[in-house]
Amino acid sequence: MKKPVIEVDNLTKKFGSFTAVNDITFDVKEGEILGFLGPNGAGKTTTIQMLLGLLTPTSGSIRYSGKDLQTHREEILETINFSSTYTNLPWYLTVKENLTYLSYLYDIPDRKKRIAELVEIFRLEPILKKSIGQLSAGQMTRVNIAKAFLNSPKVLLLDEPTASLDPDVASYIREFILRERQRFNISILFTSHNMAEVEELCERIIFINHGKIIANDKPENLAKTIEFSHIELILEKDLSRLEDFCHQEKLSFQTFSKKHIKIDVKEKNIAEFLRSLTEKNIIYDEISIDKPSLEDYFMHMSQKKL
Amino acid sequence: MKLHRIYGIILRTLYGFKHSYDKMSDAFYWPLLDLLLWGLTSSYIKESSGGQTNILLLVISGIVFWLIFWRAQYEICMGLLDELWNKNMVNIFITPLKFWEWVTAWLFMGIAKGALSFFFAAGVAILLYQTNVFTYGFAMIPFMLLLMLSGWWVGFLITSILMRYGSKVQTLAWSMPWIFAPFSAIYYPVSSLPHWAQSVAHLLPTSYVFEGMREVIKTGHFDTHGFIVGLLLNLLYLAISLVAIRFSFARVLKNGITKLY
Repeated sequence: MKKPVIEVDNLTKKFGSFTAVNDITFDVKEGEILGFLGPNGAGKTTTIQMLLGLLTPTSGSIRYSGKDLQTHREEILETINFSSTYTNLPWYLTVKENLTYLSYLYDIPDRKKRIAELVEIFRLEPILKKSIGQLSAGQMTRVNIAKAFLNSPKVLLLDEPTASLDPDVASYIREFILRERQRFNISILFTSHNMAEVEELCERIIFINHGKIIANDKPENLAKTIEFSHIELILEKDLSRLEDFCHQEKLSFQTFSKKHIKIDVKEKNIAEFLRSLTEKNIIYDEISIDKPSLEDYFMHMSQKKL
Repeated sequence: MKLHRIYGIILRTLYGFKHSYDKMSDAFYWPLLDLLLWGLTSSYIKESSGGQTNILLLVISGIVFWLIFWRAQYEICMGLLDELWNKNMVNIFITPLKFWEWVTAWLFMGIAKGALSFFFAAGVAILLYQTNVFTYGFAMIPFMLLLMLSGWWVGFLITSILMRYGSKVQTLAWSMPWIFAPFSAIYYPVSSLPHWAQSVAHLLPTSYVFEGMREVIKTGHFDTHGFIVGLLLNLLYLAISLVAIRFSFARVLKNGITKLY
């Protein structure tokens, strides 16, 4: 059994009468990539800020490798790092200057060598002398992620790290994260609105809404809790007859064009649904059946009221 | 305290200085403009009075020494404001950097940039007006230290307000030090102030500094009593300002660093 690297116990944060994070308890194991998901305003950012020591909890505790963040702040922050698409670096400093001054804030043995490694890994050489203000959003994200690896962290908190990246660069970054995790057994807490990415990277997911944890499981298990599959059909004619049928059977559907419809059908009823179409002589030209995904789970839980 | 972290913040400030024309102008342009305006005005007054007065040395000294106070407080305020403008507080405080290491770096930058502006202005004064503020040598050094201390506590007080209300009150960084100027007797003696203003002046360490400096310039005598009163007032205000800034930072952590932006 892997040891927990982050242990969060009964963590609560209140701003006046508003409770942003409400008595949450979870852990992140050694070498694990934990997805931390939830809709906007769910309490993710507040939790991450408390995990980074940027916000004092109202109650509860945060421990890294058994050490309390409040009492071992300096020691813990040497071994963790954070990257977010939504934090800036000083815009008039060059990439190299940013990495250099930040390297001094950590106790890095050979700063020049470490920066050179990161420059190579994240392909920063062409932009090294550019100021942050001159970078594209994608380049800035690469610099932010390089910065997060500066101190060779044992724990990484990544807040939508690949947002605004081109698909090929995002894929490269994901591969890098997985590789680094494997090489150095890094534990990662990961947030993203890209559910495919979460499914690819994360072994376990915590879903938070209204400040409370409402699910803590593997991505595939969470998706399984959604009963409905999506059936997409392309029809040359008969669309209105199919819509009438859906109304009659109380099936939810979405029409995209005069030929294209998506219907939500319980997985166990798919065979019966298709048989009914044949019996009613509703002819379709193309069909695709999508099993419930993490995205469906996310949509379902985000809309659900506690 | 770890020196490498203090050095990291100093390095970050120096990189900023290198790239920012605003910061360059703060260090050189404004001191130069002050010297031109008030130096030429004083030259005119000196000529009008038949050259019998040492007003030029008094005014030039006032300008040059005020820079020490101004730069010390300004660097502290800019240390915070620059991070707020760049939304860089998160990047700094997720590192092991301690609050007092951050503050120490500001103090160092205040000394370094204060010295830079001071020697620049002093050099300009020699070039333009043949007025040497170093004439009175070591007697001025204790007053320079007092001005530095005054700059620090004023800077801490302003910064603690900035931490409370964020960048929407940033103008305090430029405007608040000047509230102290009329009562600090930079160019005129405290005795020339109205009675109520004299009462305010007696509470400000800066008034003892400029009174003492004038005494040195006029008589060559160092006013030990004035120096001690100025030092004690500075230490008292410094202690209060340190409590204020620590309290404000604890409040920042309670509300969240990103709420400052």
